[in-house]
Amino acid sequence: MKFLLPSLLIILCLAFNFSIAQEAKSLTGTVMDVEGNLPMPGANVYWESDPQKGVVTDLSGNFSIALVELPAKLIVSFIGFEPSIRVITTNDLQKELRFFLKAEALSLEEIIIRGRNPEDNIKGIELGKSSVPIETIKNIPALFGEVDILRSLQLLPGVQTAGEGTTGLFVRGGSADQNLIQLDGAPVYNPSHFFGFFSVFSPDALCGVEFYKGNIPANLGGRVSSVVDVSLREGNFEQIRGEGGIGSISSRLTVDGPLFSDKSSFIVSGRRTYADAFLRLSSNPDINQNDLYFYDLSGKFTFRAGEKDKISFSSYYGSDFLGISRQFGLGWNNFVTAFNWNRNISSNKFFDLNAYHSKYQYQVQFQDPQDGFNWTSRLSESGVRAEWTWLGPNNSVLKTGYQGQIYHFSPIVLETAPESDLDDLNTNPSTGVQNNLFVSVSGDIGQKLMVEAGLRLALYNEIGQGVIYTYAGGVPDREAEILDTLRFDRFQNMKGYQRFEPRISLRYLISPNLSFKSAFNRNHQFVQVASNSSAGLPIDRWIPAGTYIEPLRGDQTSVGFFQNLAEGKWEISVEGYYKDFRNVVDLRQGASVLFSDNVETELLSGQGYAYGLEFLVRKNIGKTTGWLGYTYSRTWRKIPGISLDQWYNPRFDRPHDVNLVLNHEFSKHWSAALTFVYTTGQAVTFPIGTYEVDSQKIPLYNDLRNTDRFPDYHRMDASVTWKGKDKGRKWRGSWNFSVYNLYGRKNPFTYQFTDIINDDFRFDQDSSVPVESVRPGVVMTYLFTFLPALTYNFKF
Amino acid sequence: MRRLLLPLIAIVSFSCQEEVFLPLENTEPIPVIEALWTDNPSINQVRVSYSKDYYDTASFEVEENAQVSIRNLRTGGQVNFRFNQETKKYVAERNISGTLGESYELSVKIGEKEYSSTGTILFPPLLDSIVYNFREERIFREEGYYLTVYGKIPFADDNNYRIRMVKNDTLLNSRFDYLLFDDTFGTNILDNGFELNGFPFKKNDKVRLELYRLNQDAFDYLNQLVGLLFNDGGLFSPPPQNPTSNIKVKSGGGQVLGYFMASPFLSETIIIDPGEAEEDE
Repeated sequence: MKFLLPSLLIILCLAFNFSIAQEAKSLTGTVMDVEGNLPMPGANVYWESDPQKGVVTDLSGNFSIALVELPAKLIVSFIGFEPSIRVITTNDLQKELRFFLKAEALSLEEIIIRGRNPEDNIKGIELGKSSVPIETIKNIPALFGEVDILRSLQLLPGVQTAGEGTTGLFVRGGSADQNLIQLDGAPVYNPSHFFGFFSVFSPDALCGVEFYKGNIPANLGGRVSSVVDVSLREGNFEQIRGEGGIGSISSRLTVDGPLFSDKSSFIVSGRRTYADAFLRLSSNPDINQNDLYFYDLSGKFTFRAGEKDKISFSSYYGSDFLGISRQFGLGWNNFVTAFNWNRNISSNKFFDLNAYHSKYQYQVQFQDPQDGFNWTSRLSESGVRAEWTWLGPNNSVLKTGYQGQIYHFSPIVLETAPESDLDDLNTNPSTGVQNNLFVSVSGDIGQKLMVEAGLRLALYNEIGQGVIYTYAGGVPDREAEILDTLRFDRFQNMKGYQRFEPRISLRYLISPNLSFKSAFNRNHQFVQVASNSSAGLPIDRWIPAGTYIEPLRGDQTSVGFFQNLAEGKWEISVEGYYKDFRNVVDLRQGASVLFSDNVETELLSGQGYAYGLEFLVRKNIGKTTGWLGYTYSRTWRKIPGISLDQWYNPRFDRPHDVNLVLNHEFSKHWSAALTFVYTTGQAVTFPIGTYEVDSQKIPLYNDLRNTDRFPDYHRMDASVTWKGKDKGRKWRGSWNFSVYNLYGRKNPFTYQFTDIINDDFRFDQDSSVPVESVRPGVVMTYLFTFLPALTYNFKF
Repeated sequence: MRRLLLPLIAIVSFSCQEEVFLPLENTEPIPVIEALWTDNPSINQVRVSYSKDYYDTASFEVEENAQVSIRNLRTGGQVNFRFNQETKKYVAERNISGTLGESYELSVKIGEKEYSSTGTILFPPLLDSIVYNFREERIFREEGYYLTVYGKIPFADDNNYRIRMVKNDTLLNSRFDYLLFDDTFGTNILDNGFELNGFPFKKNDKVRLELYRLNQDAFDYLNQLVGLLFNDGGLFSPPPQNPTSNIKVKSGGGQVLGYFMASPFLSETIIIDPGEAEEDE
């Protein structure tokens, strides 16, 4: 494989006859949506005289089209928008051309999911990629009315949830920490609020989501299962605008507009919950002295420095806090900042620079002179990615670049109260440096075949300051004696890994509306979460690869058929995949990792595999839009020390998964949405008996893990939206009423195996009521049955 | 932390509960051995019982015909146990007890099957005194009298301790009553007094405090047991597993549950007398 890929790249370069040095005469410009002033990727641009040689705008809405004899008519079109036709003369070649497309006056038959060209489904080489327009996400009925990007992604085939209400993504057999969730190129380490029930992304500030679950491009990497690439929206360059909403648990406001001149713009967005405000209204000090809130702040500054350069600076800060009686507090926050520079070097050469810093930290504090403590933990990643893109003939694209990353895990510190006799705790820091070189080349070979080959080389080093423990027998084990402690100075190399990550994919056009795609993708992951619970907690510990922890590896092979029907109104796809995992970690029984400086002694390592078949039928145009997805998938792990060293299913192995998303526009004022979810129950371990030890009645478990199942999960959500009149009004409002779990299905969240006293599972053992009977029983906890929410949304 | 978070999540998340019936698999009864071997003859005992089906409402079956013995691994001296019909437990013949610093092997034979485990009765820490103070209610603490234990831990290794409380002749044995600590936070914990926050008492309560120093495997077993008692099988809990027993099947195959705890035994009894207590500052 080492020699195959470079050879293949060279062959492909030759096949595409790259003319990198050759400057083609061409016309460049940008296509924008006139309403949101947003760039429109995927718009068609072609000369009226030669429609066969059209081009498609890139992610920034930019295009470059070879010149024909001028003057000539240039047509810019996008489905659902009125085409723009302009006569181009030689004078226009000196200008920065912008084409503003206006949405068609939609009839009831033509409501369109925008932001995506239906042809991409067939002709694009991407496999296992979904672009979810923010408008679609906003229409999906939401828990508490809180529109949530990550929860929306759970409605796509191949994505599982850990359980009711949570936003963690389990993509094609991968666990939640195997997803690179990034905002404007910067990773977000804990993308959830309120213990995972809400994601950190406020919808109004976002442009859209690119979701890669299959063939992750060579310029992205670092996680083995998926990339969730979230983009903050650019502010518009025309006038100050705003939008927001007042919801059941939070309110939000976003303002955007030009800044200083028509070349720069800003957007600022905020969201905050107000449960704590209601708590303070209570006269009961046990309630009014508690705090419970989260908030987000995000902003982006964009500057168009001439015709060829665009610079943006974006930042996000999100925080959660839970406080009890002004004495105990648990808080965590993400701070993410990114700088992006996009330069059009020429009509067929582009340069993109992304520099970022991401920090996550939590703090647990208890104020008491004797038992108090202050526990803090912080991790960060800083990086820079430089990427060059060349567009060649035959739709060929060459991308190459470099990404450098520094992971830093600060010492976990627990400071005890001054009067405490407990010693403070302080772990050693750890730092990882990762240099990545990547190259990919894609293009048409003939009329029907398109091929993309990529290679990413990851050079990872664990560096000082830090320590390596030497264990008796060379194997880290709790019981093993520590023979030596090696201390490393700052930047001193401790352990290194070099990993090649090949990617190759192809698309074959069987007919103009039917294509076959296939891909192989290898990724390595050098940081992962040491946890064996399914849902992430704010205090989860991330651990870097090092002397005893090898980087996680994920190989995925996928194939798929894609078909468009009725001129792109319907999309149908069938995708199959097989994934192989190596060096997956899990915790030993009774492991304690939060404060341990010897985390390696608490871990077990093994392998896994997953496979699945995903069906998707999607309707993009018409008064009714949406999709129906079905996935059959299985996931297995084999980790020595767990489940008698046999293969077992992780909790998120849920073979059958059905998702239905429907939107219907009744009129210009009324619309409705409905979602239905059905999945096989989670894989869990139920008792097979009971026994008594240490005066406790204990459930007896099978030695094999997760051989039982929760009952199947299903739920229907619905929402109705009423929009006021738009024309001539500066303030436009709409009301959204949604119901989560419409028919009140009692989906289990947990089962407790406990004694039922006096036939009352709520019996209070501290009460004076005599105990008359005791029998074993099972108590089910379930969440969110028929949960209505009302949200007022507005724009101005 | 998980114990704190779960109720909060449940409260805020509109959770509901109801009793349900889940069809559960069953298994053949598995022997459960619970052996306590200390330097105090009055508490040494071995209990041999069997597991049962989860929904079975009958009492746990007790094995009365096992051959139970403990052997000193250095001297080879063996102590045989006899079954006590009254307590349904095996007790050492002639009230023999263990000796500090000695290592022992437990042997339990049930028919053709034999189970064994080893452990050392480690030297105990120094227990100087126990005082009690009245504390007002605050977060995570009820109002009441709280014990403070003074002493010294002079050991560099094997610092695994358990404290058990007996209130008015009743052992406090809810899942919240396990007090297990090691030297994660150092060994100075007893030097200036270790206040036992989880145990509020009222005036005139008679309290017996028992302090054990455990071998690592027995300490791990109890820690895993507590983890299991708080495991609700939910998203935030690890997959439930039986605690890792330090008792091995020596012959005859099959499984065994339970644990062998060899430990020194320290005990102190006090009566809460408000006149001698200090008020909360």
